[in-house]
Amino acid sequence: MTNRRRASVASTAEAKPHPPGDYPVVVVGSGPGGLQAAYVLKHLGIDHAVISADPSPGGMFRRFPFFQRLLSWTKPHAPYPQKTREYEWYDWNSLLAVEPENRSLMPPLMDGTSEFPSRPEMEAGLSAFAGQAGIRIRHDTRWEATSRDGDRFIVHTADGDYRAKVVIFAVGVAQPWTPSTPGVEHVAHYVDTREASSYRGKRLFIIGKQNSGFELASGLLHWASRIILASPRPATLSVNLHSLAGVRARYVQPWEDSNLGGGCFILNASIERIERHEDGITVHTRRSDNGEPFMAEVDEVIAATGFQAPLGDLTELGVTVFGQSRLPAMTNFYESATVPGMYFAGTIGQGVAGLKKFGIPANSGAVHGARYNTRLMAEHVAETHFGWVRERPVIRHEDAADFLLTEATTAPELWNQKSYLARAISRGSGGTLHDEGIVSLADFVDSGGPDAIAITIETDDTGDIHPAVYVRRRGRVDGDARLDGSPLHEYRTTAHRRELLSLARGVIRGS
Amino acid sequence: MALDTNAKREWMARVALFRGCSPDALERLAERMGEVEFPAGHHIVTQGQVGSGLYILVTGRARVLRGDDLIADLEPGDFFGELAVLDQMPRSATVIALEPTTCLGLASWDLIAELERDPQLALNLLRELAGRIRFLEDQYIY
Amino acid sequence: MNQEEVVDALAGLSLFADLRRPQLEAAAHTFSEESFAPGQRILRQGFQGTGFYVILDGEVSVQIDGKDRARLGKGDFFGEMSILLGEPPVADIVALGALHALHLSGPELQGFLQQNPAVMYRMLQSVARRLRNANRWGN
Repeated sequence: MTNRRRASVASTAEAKPHPPGDYPVVVVGSGPGGLQAAYVLKHLGIDHAVISADPSPGGMFRRFPFFQRLLSWTKPHAPYPQKTREYEWYDWNSLLAVEPENRSLMPPLMDGTSEFPSRPEMEAGLSAFAGQAGIRIRHDTRWEATSRDGDRFIVHTADGDYRAKVVIFAVGVAQPWTPSTPGVEHVAHYVDTREASSYRGKRLFIIGKQNSGFELASGLLHWASRIILASPRPATLSVNLHSLAGVRARYVQPWEDSNLGGGCFILNASIERIERHEDGITVHTRRSDNGEPFMAEVDEVIAATGFQAPLGDLTELGVTVFGQSRLPAMTNFYESATVPGMYFAGTIGQGVAGLKKFGIPANSGAVHGARYNTRLMAEHVAETHFGWVRERPVIRHEDAADFLLTEATTAPELWNQKSYLARAISRGSGGTLHDEGIVSLADFVDSGGPDAIAITIETDDTGDIHPAVYVRRRGRVDGDARLDGSPLHEYRTTAHRRELLSLARGVIRGS
Repeated sequence: MALDTNAKREWMARVALFRGCSPDALERLAERMGEVEFPAGHHIVTQGQVGSGLYILVTGRARVLRGDDLIADLEPGDFFGELAVLDQMPRSATVIALEPTTCLGLASWDLIAELERDPQLALNLLRELAGRIRFLEDQYIY
Repeated sequence: MNQEEVVDALAGLSLFADLRRPQLEAAAHTFSEESFAPGQRILRQGFQGTGFYVILDGEVSVQIDGKDRARLGKGDFFGEMSILLGEPPVADIVALGALHALHLSGPELQGFLQQNPAVMYRMLQSVARRLRNANRWGN
């Protein structure tokens, strides 16, 4: 069966690479997560197939967001030149590459009117990356089902079966989810939103007060005659939470309008049922503060109630999922906690919470954080399944503190994934120091290992940003320590050096 | 010593347990709190007995004993008796006046009503209890 | 779990037993569900900025310096002491098997309790029981 299918597609091998068959690794998905995973595997020399249901690269950016630009910045003019590692902190939308020519692909594709790319610009950037970095994708090949054959996974597609010991799913978190509220059939999901002008003069009810709800409200603000945003929990602002978890600054206009009483209303209420009648739709709600019922008469209802990871039949193979988004339960290296050999790339990685200090989440749900998680995952796959050995360059004791403080000041991994990724130095036999590279902070503090020191960037509950230091001695990290903040985030100072060396006693010599 | 409602309210405003409580809450509490005087050596509460209120020490000094073990000495501003109110179990220790001592007493039902009404009071009490647990260094806390 | 299932799960936990449906829904939207692999630490001895957790499913071990001191299971909660006192935990909380828990950040806990006095009262009772069990102080 497999052979016959393989023969039948041989003539189109140019257009359709990676025919069904046996591979060391199969990657499912051609969005940012799939592309980044494939890039790292290719760079490390690990043969793999990439399959995707889509006709072209880009994943969710082939469709979303609707009205607005992306929420992630690419600043063309930054303190560091484009194509450098340090520039990655100022360019959240380009994927990671080792070759300078494949880095920073987004800035030249943007028209210069905004540091936030439009959807087509983002899609073009991802396509350019796939093309330039030579990532071959078998498009129009949908993963339909999954099964096991001994120690191998079988990924079933209409073209035939793919077998591999390691499968990486990079299928995003973009499957619409709507609650089962009575009358939900009268509700359109965010993804079914029409062209903005078709809401001209309408009374609109938006369920959900996260970014997608506020994005819709912002986009429809000058078309709809009245907009009500409702959900049980009060909305939060990113500038108050010191993280991207709240409503982003770009979408605050509806909030301001509601504060002024200007045709936009923000309710804290649960939605009890939705009824259609000849003049429109009645939304029955119950207020969260006093439990009183409240009714709204509107023309249309849109559910901005979130997305799930489309994991298909993976739960039948034993993958445990959790949460509203049905994310898989994973290890610190994005491997299913219940099905070894199955990995996840891209925004699904947000299921690995990390330390979440002061409640501030990492940026794993967006490209700028997910790209680093995915690189860590692919390197881990290479190490544990394919005998790849990470280079651990020796660092002289007298250079160690400056090395770590430079990382704290400039490393894009630490700034994009605060309190989540860290730079580590370990102390080997004979006291030699080795650069461990970028590590998962949760793994560093919980997994034991040689004496070592890790530095990361953290934000506390007051919004102060500062380096934090974790020291492992005799296999344990017993606490955290923070270095002082700095007004312009410059930590390469004598005072920081002194403080760091005193924390690193017994690990870095001369401290 | 006789405290009127105003004096009670002013005094309560300086006690950590009532920090941040609204003037209305302080007013309600002051109205419901009774002043009780104890001679030196008097058992204010007795271990094993059913208790029905919270005491706040206003003047004097008192000693907390569990069996023969000295647990703590209390000074003006300290309070005791809240555990029996919260879990409705018998008193877990004895408190003896070391000198002539004046307390403000609040009945269980008045304390519970106020805890349900004023989240700040509940939060203060929660913090105080958490602090006491942490003080017991041979106990785990998390 | 989706939010509707979280509401049902919360309704079955004693900490939330006094909340009405709209309040439970608001709570379900306030907490986030997190998953931990066996052996992962959820609270770490000596680490600042920890959160509040309510166990939905699974069991954890309370460990001081690596020694097992207690077990907590479904419906139990932890992390509130460190948040209330503004001090790092003095114990590790380690997942014994796969663990599902609801998480609320430290800065959010105080506001949540003030908006839900009934939950705070339940928490007070639980802390009072623990203090009494500590068996040295209290009356």
